[in-house]
Amino acid sequence: MKKNSRLLFAIITTVALTACSKDFVNTRPTNAVPDDQVFNTIDNAETAINGTWAYMFDTYFTFAVPGYKSIHLTSDAMGSDVALTTSYGFRDAYTFIEMVDNTKNRVSAYWTLLYKVIDNCNLFLSKIDNVPGDDAKRKYLKGQALTLRANSYLTLASFYQFGVNTNGNTKTAPIYLEPSNPGTQGKSKSTLIQLYQQTISDLETAIPLLGQYDRPATMKYKIDVHVAQGLLARAYLYSGQYAKATTPAVAARDGYPLMGSDDYNKGFNDISNQEWIWGQAQTPTQNVAASNFNFLDVSTPVAYYKSFKADPWFRGYFESSDVRTRLFEVSHAGHMLYKKFRFRDPGAMVADLVLMRSAEMYLIEAEAYARSGNAGKAKDALNALRTARNASPYNGNGSVTDTILLERRKELWGEGFSLSDILRTGGTVVRKPFVNFQGKDSIIPVPFPDGTIDSVHVIGHRTLALPDKSPFKPFSNYYLFSIPLSELQNNPNINN
Amino acid sequence: MLQRLLIILLLLGPLAAYSQVRTVTGTIVSAKEKEPLPGATIVVKGSTKGTVSGPDGSFRLEVTDPAATTLVISYIGMVPQEVPVSTTPLRIELQASGKNLDEYVVIAYGTAKKSSYTGSVSQIKSDELVDRQVSSVSKALQGLAAGVQSASQSGQPGTDASIRIRGVGSINASADPLYVVDGVPYGGNLSAINPFDIESISVLKDAASSALYGSRGANGVIIITTKKGKVKGSRIDARVSQGFSKRAVKNYETVGTDDYFQMYWRAMFNTQLANNRDSLTAARNASAGLVDELGINPYGSKYPQPVGTDGKLVAGAVPLWNDDWDKAMQRTGHRTEANLSISGATDNTRYFISGGYLDDQGIYLGSGFKRYNVRSNIDIDARKWLKVGLNLSAAHSDQQAPPSEDSRSDNYINYGRLMGPMYPIYVRDPNTGAYKLDANGKRVFDYGDYRPDPANPRTNLVQTSGIDRHDTIRDDVSARVYAEATLWKGLKFKTSYSADYSNRQAHDYTNPTLGFDAEVGGTVSKGSFKYFSWTFNNILTYETTFNEKHHLNLLAGQEAYKSTYSFEVGNKSGFSVPGLDEPAGAALISNFDGYRDSYALTSYLGRAEYDYLGKYFFSASLRGDRSSRFAPGKNLGTFWSLGASWKATEEDFLKNSSWLNLLTLRASYGGQGNDNLGATRYYNYLPLFVVNSNLGQGGTYRNALYNPDLKWETNLNLNAGVDFSMFDNRFGGTVEFFIRKSKDLLFSRPKPPSIGYPTIDENIGALKNTGVELTLNAVPVRTKDFSWQVSLNMTHYKNKITELPQAEIISGTKKLMVGRSIYDFYIREWAGVDPKTGTALWHYTNKDGSISDTSNYSAATQYYSGSSLPDVYGGLTNTFNYKGFSLSFLIVYSLGGKVLDNDYTFLMGTGSAGGRAWSKEMLNAWTPSNRNTDVPQLTTVTNNFTANSTRFLYDASYARLKSVNLSYNLPKSLMEKAHLNNITVYVQGENLFTLYNHKGMDPEQTVGGTTYYRYPAVKSVSAGINLSF
Repeated sequence: MKKNSRLLFAIITTVALTACSKDFVNTRPTNAVPDDQVFNTIDNAETAINGTWAYMFDTYFTFAVPGYKSIHLTSDAMGSDVALTTSYGFRDAYTFIEMVDNTKNRVSAYWTLLYKVIDNCNLFLSKIDNVPGDDAKRKYLKGQALTLRANSYLTLASFYQFGVNTNGNTKTAPIYLEPSNPGTQGKSKSTLIQLYQQTISDLETAIPLLGQYDRPATMKYKIDVHVAQGLLARAYLYSGQYAKATTPAVAARDGYPLMGSDDYNKGFNDISNQEWIWGQAQTPTQNVAASNFNFLDVSTPVAYYKSFKADPWFRGYFESSDVRTRLFEVSHAGHMLYKKFRFRDPGAMVADLVLMRSAEMYLIEAEAYARSGNAGKAKDALNALRTARNASPYNGNGSVTDTILLERRKELWGEGFSLSDILRTGGTVVRKPFVNFQGKDSIIPVPFPDGTIDSVHVIGHRTLALPDKSPFKPFSNYYLFSIPLSELQNNPNINN
Repeated sequence: MLQRLLIILLLLGPLAAYSQVRTVTGTIVSAKEKEPLPGATIVVKGSTKGTVSGPDGSFRLEVTDPAATTLVISYIGMVPQEVPVSTTPLRIELQASGKNLDEYVVIAYGTAKKSSYTGSVSQIKSDELVDRQVSSVSKALQGLAAGVQSASQSGQPGTDASIRIRGVGSINASADPLYVVDGVPYGGNLSAINPFDIESISVLKDAASSALYGSRGANGVIIITTKKGKVKGSRIDARVSQGFSKRAVKNYETVGTDDYFQMYWRAMFNTQLANNRDSLTAARNASAGLVDELGINPYGSKYPQPVGTDGKLVAGAVPLWNDDWDKAMQRTGHRTEANLSISGATDNTRYFISGGYLDDQGIYLGSGFKRYNVRSNIDIDARKWLKVGLNLSAAHSDQQAPPSEDSRSDNYINYGRLMGPMYPIYVRDPNTGAYKLDANGKRVFDYGDYRPDPANPRTNLVQTSGIDRHDTIRDDVSARVYAEATLWKGLKFKTSYSADYSNRQAHDYTNPTLGFDAEVGGTVSKGSFKYFSWTFNNILTYETTFNEKHHLNLLAGQEAYKSTYSFEVGNKSGFSVPGLDEPAGAALISNFDGYRDSYALTSYLGRAEYDYLGKYFFSASLRGDRSSRFAPGKNLGTFWSLGASWKATEEDFLKNSSWLNLLTLRASYGGQGNDNLGATRYYNYLPLFVVNSNLGQGGTYRNALYNPDLKWETNLNLNAGVDFSMFDNRFGGTVEFFIRKSKDLLFSRPKPPSIGYPTIDENIGALKNTGVELTLNAVPVRTKDFSWQVSLNMTHYKNKITELPQAEIISGTKKLMVGRSIYDFYIREWAGVDPKTGTALWHYTNKDGSISDTSNYSAATQYYSGSSLPDVYGGLTNTFNYKGFSLSFLIVYSLGGKVLDNDYTFLMGTGSAGGRAWSKEMLNAWTPSNRNTDVPQLTTVTNNFTANSTRFLYDASYARLKSVNLSYNLPKSLMEKAHLNNITVYVQGENLFTLYNHKGMDPEQTVGGTTYYRYPAVKSVSAGINLSF
């Protein structure tokens, strides 16, 4: 009897467990949601825009590639005015051995990041029309997704090819407008002109959709009509449609007056700056993007790398009255510090990131007028900015276009325009040794705040030629961002 | 013991002659483990009369022949012993004769006799583990079992070695074996298991042995079985050992201050030349700028320009200090271990209770491991038909594990290694070199805010390693409870519930006043990571013999498994006041996160084993698993095996062979699975959005493409082997051949990143591992007092990709192609240094196929450059016994294969990282007078000279004296006076000697052949005593 009851127990247990086995293995993640829970209401769908944005800015690919903003740092590291140190980070971009090498992490990181944003926008745009909810909100969310996609295509157009004048019909990068699925094949590259056309078409579609959207003043990361107008101004300028660039440039800066001279010295770390049109704020708990300041910030002790030292020659472009001149300082070690970027809260390693501000819009307007033959209006726009910076107005000496391009370098140093300006204008990187008239290293007596005067051996550019030892020249392939090897290997259509 | 026997012999010898029928009784035990030997034969010498010992090792034999004087006691795998016939109860201890060939081995859901088992199992016994100075049992497996590849990449106390059984059958899914403790998959930490508690470790390598573990068995199974009480009465064992440890192999050789200054001068000079200065200006600028660039003048203010324009130190300049930071970051580690166990049995209870303590201090400052263990294993015969048992163990460990597998600048291993020798550890007088002392007369640590970035300014880990914390505190509790009922003759039902709970608390703290995080006021991170897993299973077994010829053993059962992982972690910074190291003391929250995840399996399993006359053995097994890792409809997998063996020595024509003791041929085939894509990718069958947020607003985004068709990766294993033993079991071994094919690989298939996602998980591709394993055991010398045993194992295998979704896939330093191995390096090929210019060259292949050199790294061609897999690896154990002395040593070896040493590249920089230490090899850098060299010229400009290429690919062959043990058993006569069973004193050494090629790098690196700034292996010497009473 005992034995039988034992057997019975065994059978019952076995059967009982069998019954629940299918549910038993039905587990669900707690840190991710299925897509049908995202695209079920308009409010939930909005999280897809926030999330894509947060991915874009706050993802470390490595500590030297802290998200989208580091593209801008790469752009300046590959220009003329940053004399990068050998510290960790952008040193290989600076010497032009990184972005040319399609096996490097930075190369694949930027490509992946830009296209992941594009696909998330494509997915959003394909779903949003069928999501129940408020149509007004649907409209501007759509506008935001289109603008975000346009930003990726504009970035591709800016760094992966030279300008439209010389290379407009050169195949540059593929365009995707539908969301990817497991069967999606890689597409062939579109031309540079097609990339700009896509950018402009997205933005022109977005602008009316964003018209009624009034973003909260503290949320400058949200895309509104000013952001879309600013991107459109860039796209027209970069693609050579100068006449069309001025209107959106003016529209973009409407309501964002140029900052005062004190604000210029506050470290470029605060999204509440009146001139900032678009930016990403950071907090102690969300500060991946802020870690770009570890490279940009050369004066706050907490910054890890402080590698973005200025070229000593760069200082010579400024008049002493210019408010920007106050940011220069020579360190004991001989580095030319341009203290434009400083952590806002060093203890928490927090600083906000600027993406677009009025000064750039004035410069776009000026350049667009200059290039379309309206030197007078160009001068006005340029001088509006120069006046605000307490620099003497441009009075017609020298080429107005060259003056504007130099003013861009001066005003937008560290904000990511160096390389893209060189590429689109067919310009060249210029790096001269910092030597005295005898060809020797410059040793300069420098007064320090503690009252001492020290003879300092001032450090300039450490790389004065391309890796193949040839001098810097226009249209060098070393300037271009390369397409990663994984794309070439896995996309048979890429070069079709 | 021997003396007692002799006395017995003297006393009883004469008496015996007068008896007609003498009854001899006694117990037969193994000499080493003191455990009863059931099935030993006791034969009257010169006759065929005899008996076999019972389950408790006891026997009773009636000797009718009055002339008989001697009994021969034998047991397979043991040295036969002759004892005089006596009527006093005997206790006979048999010595092992090398590796035991007819042992019982623990297998999936049971045990089997090794000599006839159809599957492939290697067993490691407790005596091979117990003396080892390791804190994780995984580190003791190396070299002891054929087919097992163990890499102890880290010498950090308390870390595990990574184990690979018969190669790697997966490209993206896990290659780790399944660990089973006391019959059930183990969810705790390996380092929580005290090696002292381990009875045996079985390594299951083929399908017949591991298919019963189904979806988790593809990478092989390691079964750890803990000790049980066996012998009636109680026995107490105590072990205490003390030891010391140091780095096993020397660090890379680096240059001193004098060489450093002259080399850095050269680097600056070359940079100036490259920037088109004339050589006089260049030399002047280099001499003038040198001290500024390096931030320090260790030659004193008397020599403001210590290196002249000729690039040489100026006359009279002598460095006032030349510090060795690497040495300063290290110390002699100290190790203490103590274990105590009480084990035994009563009529219906068997028990083993133990406690252990380990304090293993690391050789680097701020590292170490402490562990406290308790265990209680109890089996009770509750009724004649019912057995119940409970194994309960708990461990608490406290590991100090500073960053050591990371490229971050506070990596404790790199910190000292990479610091230039001209930077003083303590503040010095810049003119005299005298130490600056504080008010208490103590030296003051130098935080070097003058040091350039590569030399970590404002830090001094030599001091802060004693203040900061990098602690991992683990608590592990494991329970195994079972009840086994005999329902009918041979029909048993066993139900068991097992649970493993493991909590890991990570506590990292950097202080607010000194070093790396002083600027942010210190940081603290505290996290709690909890793992709980349970297994409930119900197994019916039936064993019967019919017609005295057919033996049948059946097993059927059902099992459910669930594991839940949950964590929360928070980070804060900005301590209000110094001296606090918990989050409560810090002001600013910088991170808080946590989530929970579960993994569940339900399974059915069955096995049938049949043998005919103990000659022909057949086995078959089947298991069905339903897993939570795949979509409904795809989540049911079936795994199976078939095996057969033929014990040829049971055949009449071999049975009476005078020299051959055992010959078994066996083969098996079957399929196991692998569902382990890694903890972060459980749900790739669902269209998921990752949840994040932006500035307090909720966010989601798509980070990966999903694949609803994902299913198991399947391994198909073929195993064929021969076991043999001959010459009184003095020579024997096993030869096995295996083909391990894996298909439907859980593969991260590359996609063009422009579609948004660089990979998608699919079941594609196939791999094949083919190999041979050889194990040989011999007893070359065996006399009364002296014996010498040798055991050798070697494994050779090849890994081959047999199917890929596309022609080639480059991943990191490897390229996958059909016909190649997943371990084939695919990197640029170093072509040396251009004698004309001193720049580095690499090869590239022109369109016409010819090969040229290029100085443009990114234009160089990548080539297949050899494999990280060794040609052959294994271990060699020698044991010598002389009277009470025993000397044994284990040599492990790995021959062939390559390693890409990225650690070394840091020391081989060309000068762009001023302040970082330089390897001595850099002294040979190119100069116009030293043109034929393999080291490019020095320069302060960053370049690709140290980028991945064959320049840093080295031969990974090595042989290492893994362990040496010299022990002495005190004589019995002394023991008895002290009421002790046994006293052994011993001296033990680990990693004492290493033969290897590439100096500076510890040769034990990952199976994949890459380095990652890891804590190097340590060598240790310790002495201990074992008491048994």
